[in-house]
Amino acid sequence: MTDPTLIRNFSIIAHIDHGKSTLADRVLQLTHTVADRDMQEQLLDSMDIERERGITIKAQAVRVMYDADDGQTYQLNLIDTPGHVDFTYEVSRSLAACEGVILVVDAAQGVEAQTVANAQMAMNAHLEIIPLINKIDLPAADPERVRHEIEEGLAIPADEAVLASGKTGEGVRDALEAVVRLVPHPVGDPEAPLKALIFDSYFDAYRGVVALIRVVDGSVSKGLKIKMMATSTVTDVEEVGVRRPANIPVDTLGVGEVGYLITGLKDPSLVKVGDTVTLARHGATQQLPGYREVKPMVFTGLFPIDGDQYPDLRDALERLQLNDPALIWDPESSHALGFGFRVGFLGLLHMEVVKERLEREFGLDLLATAPSVEYHAYRVKGDMIVVHSPQDMPDPGHLDHVEEPYLKATVLVPPDYVGAVMELADQRRGTFRDMQYLSATTVELHYEMPLSELIMDFFDQLKSRTKGYASLDYEYIGYRASELVKLDILLAGKPVDALSFVVHKDKAYARGKVLTEKLREIIPRQMFEVPIQAAIGAKIISRETVRAMRKDVIAKCYGGDISRKRKLLEKQKAGKKRMKSVGSVDIPQEAFMAILKVDE
Amino acid sequence: MTSQTGDLVTPWSDTRVSLPRHLYVHVPLCSSRCSYCDFFSTVDDGLPEHAAVVGHTVALLRGWLTPQVRWSALETLYIGGGTPTVLGPHLVQLIRSLTALIPLASEAEVTVEANPESFTPALASALAAEGVTRVSIGVQSLDDSALVGLGRCHDSATALAAITAGVDAGLDVSADLICGVPGVSAEAWERSLRGVVEAGVSHVSVYPLTVEAATPLARAIEAGETLAPDEDAVVDGMHAAAAVLGELGFDRYEVANYARPGHRSLHNTAYWTGKPYIGIGGGAHGMVDGAQARALGLAPEEGGDIGRARYAYAAHVLPGDQLQPLSSIEHLTVAEAAREDAMLGMRMSEGISEGLAVRARVTPALESLVADGLVTFADGRWRPTERGWLFGNEVFSRIWGVVG
Repeated sequence: MTDPTLIRNFSIIAHIDHGKSTLADRVLQLTHTVADRDMQEQLLDSMDIERERGITIKAQAVRVMYDADDGQTYQLNLIDTPGHVDFTYEVSRSLAACEGVILVVDAAQGVEAQTVANAQMAMNAHLEIIPLINKIDLPAADPERVRHEIEEGLAIPADEAVLASGKTGEGVRDALEAVVRLVPHPVGDPEAPLKALIFDSYFDAYRGVVALIRVVDGSVSKGLKIKMMATSTVTDVEEVGVRRPANIPVDTLGVGEVGYLITGLKDPSLVKVGDTVTLARHGATQQLPGYREVKPMVFTGLFPIDGDQYPDLRDALERLQLNDPALIWDPESSHALGFGFRVGFLGLLHMEVVKERLEREFGLDLLATAPSVEYHAYRVKGDMIVVHSPQDMPDPGHLDHVEEPYLKATVLVPPDYVGAVMELADQRRGTFRDMQYLSATTVELHYEMPLSELIMDFFDQLKSRTKGYASLDYEYIGYRASELVKLDILLAGKPVDALSFVVHKDKAYARGKVLTEKLREIIPRQMFEVPIQAAIGAKIISRETVRAMRKDVIAKCYGGDISRKRKLLEKQKAGKKRMKSVGSVDIPQEAFMAILKVDE
Repeated sequence: MTSQTGDLVTPWSDTRVSLPRHLYVHVPLCSSRCSYCDFFSTVDDGLPEHAAVVGHTVALLRGWLTPQVRWSALETLYIGGGTPTVLGPHLVQLIRSLTALIPLASEAEVTVEANPESFTPALASALAAEGVTRVSIGVQSLDDSALVGLGRCHDSATALAAITAGVDAGLDVSADLICGVPGVSAEAWERSLRGVVEAGVSHVSVYPLTVEAATPLARAIEAGETLAPDEDAVVDGMHAAAAVLGELGFDRYEVANYARPGHRSLHNTAYWTGKPYIGIGGGAHGMVDGAQARALGLAPEEGGDIGRARYAYAAHVLPGDQLQPLSSIEHLTVAEAAREDAMLGMRMSEGISEGLAVRARVTPALESLVADGLVTFADGRWRPTERGWLFGNEVFSRIWGVVG
């Protein structure tokens, strides 16, 4: 156990791509936590996808020992946090384990939407905020402008902002000095019953669930009988230790310390992020604040292209869930796509990452349907049905009204692009709330808008209409009634369930028209004419036709052509396998995502 | 040593395996390359010398004659290419040498492929005297601008003269025509069809213009210098051919082949009905049954389920090369061979017998094709419909079992 006055717990927070993980790497090097020869980029991002995409998905914690200018050696616990809005809850739990943060702002990009969101989260948690202007080695770096944006836009004094470069290592020592000097040391009662926050967890195939914890009161050591308060799970402590960044067992973790906890529990659902660990007997009665169940916001159908892979997909989802309790799913069957799963995600990035991991790490070939949100359908007879899939939307005749999740969206953008953002938000049913100038170069706009509109390539559109300048953050604000209808797509007269979607009634016509046109381009000509129709209930609102193909090869077939012909047929088979046959119509995979790429 | 039931095995009984009765000989020379062609052929610039080509080809054939096999009299011999007629008098020599080595059956069909510019009355008579019964002339079109576009080195008058030369020599004449050539009107197409018939052909092959990869045509289309064949024009052209030739007394016995009664190509029919054939020459293919494959060393002497073997010569088999340099050998099981026969049989108007469908285990596939209007079943035979012919890929792939 370390004297709490020599402990500093801090986090690095930033907008995505502002260089948080690289900075963390430099901290590990500077403190000799990792030998130079073992250093690999983004050490704390251990997943391949994290390194490739340059993003952090899982929180990480590492203990470093820092010899400060005052001659003391400090125990610094650095908690790296996910940088994406999908993982906001994980960020908030990570912050709850800290007393301070380094707020990293890119010296060229300046303050962006998640800079604001993360800074606000840190302020709400009453954390000491140390601004750090990163990437000062870049030619486009403008630290003075950024300093100004931090002060004006975030109301954080930035006179003494650390100027640093994760790339060259410049300023990293200054940052650690600032942490020692400015971040308060942890305060807790060593005599009180154990109270520790679980701020992350992961699954180890040999050890079971490993929880990352921050001790608030009391202490925890091997052999102790403990309880997880939210799940009322009682278990024994098998091992406690610290991460440097490899796991090093220690005897005890005391007040203010950060480390890991192994109990032998194999079921991740019993060890929840945000939960409080206490003693099994005479434990604390009050949980640490802030715990909530993580709720998926975005749902999509995942179907194996090869129906035989259905059991493999289920196994793979179970394996992923061990490390990602936010992932939930239910079996779903589609006339068009066969058996698959309706999978819930925290957001679009989470969805992409999971799909990519399923395909890459488990060798699955998957078809994803257009993402949807959770609708609440209130029926005339008074009950409410939770709708995760457009297929489950009750008949219009039985519906009283439908509610959908709304968000508060925050967009930061240079003033020149305010008009473009407003136009887009308007098209996406956004309600303007307010707007303020953070600085002469940055405007902050607030909108309330349905989540369903946001997951329709809103971010891509925002980026392209603002030449990449806009940044986005959003938070969930609850359910609101909307006039929504289910739009069905019929191919050759038969509804294709996997192409149905829910849309606001005012936009149904336009979207039906664009989508049928898009499908006409995507669906290849077949032996028969294929009518493509968009319908609301029994009412057809638009129609296109894929002309019938008139022939399919009448090539010569003499002695030498026969083997070649057979091989050609085999090759065509491989091409066809990438399509889904619905009735007599072959539908390419991209058709199922076409709805996402509907420009209006 | 095998013995036949009831027969005494005598020392003089012939246990050698009988070879196919169909022979294809490839002459990989052309006077020039056509824009659409991807067959193996080199431009005839006098090298290799024609005599050497003849000698080499005969040597190739001799290579197949091993102590384990015996030739049977050939039912069909087909000299294709390339353009065999560029050999001129040496072509006569080639046929003489080949038939000296292997006897022709009485009534054997002997076909020579010809291009109009090298098929003279003198050559026609000489070939007829040597036992040639049939000439297949690459007319392609009687529209002179289309001929230029296709990179042909003859005009329509030369083509008609070549047909006349064949007819006058007493040969069965077949004309190859290409439909769907961009720029050729429906009327011009019909003139080509009627023109070759009026000139005296008894057989017509009609193929859509097909853009093969890496041909000058493909490059020209890619570069936007010429139009790609239009699907509607191709299909309309196929329909017009069926109508016009039907009206003129031709029977469409295969998807792309029309003949007056008694004038079908027996050699090509062998391909479509699963008859073994030997092919020799650069790029030539052959197909033999299991016993023949074993006797020829194309398959292990024992073991394995080998219904047939297909082989191909390397493209560059020219004088000076090693004999029999095969580039590929492929084995098909008995079941696969039956399925292949079923697939190929559906190119023919006769279709396939119920028995073959059962042996090939393709009855369910055929039933699904009937349901889609691509195949009919009557009098114990499965036959393609007109629509089935147009959607050959669908028919073949369901029969071959690669769909559904």
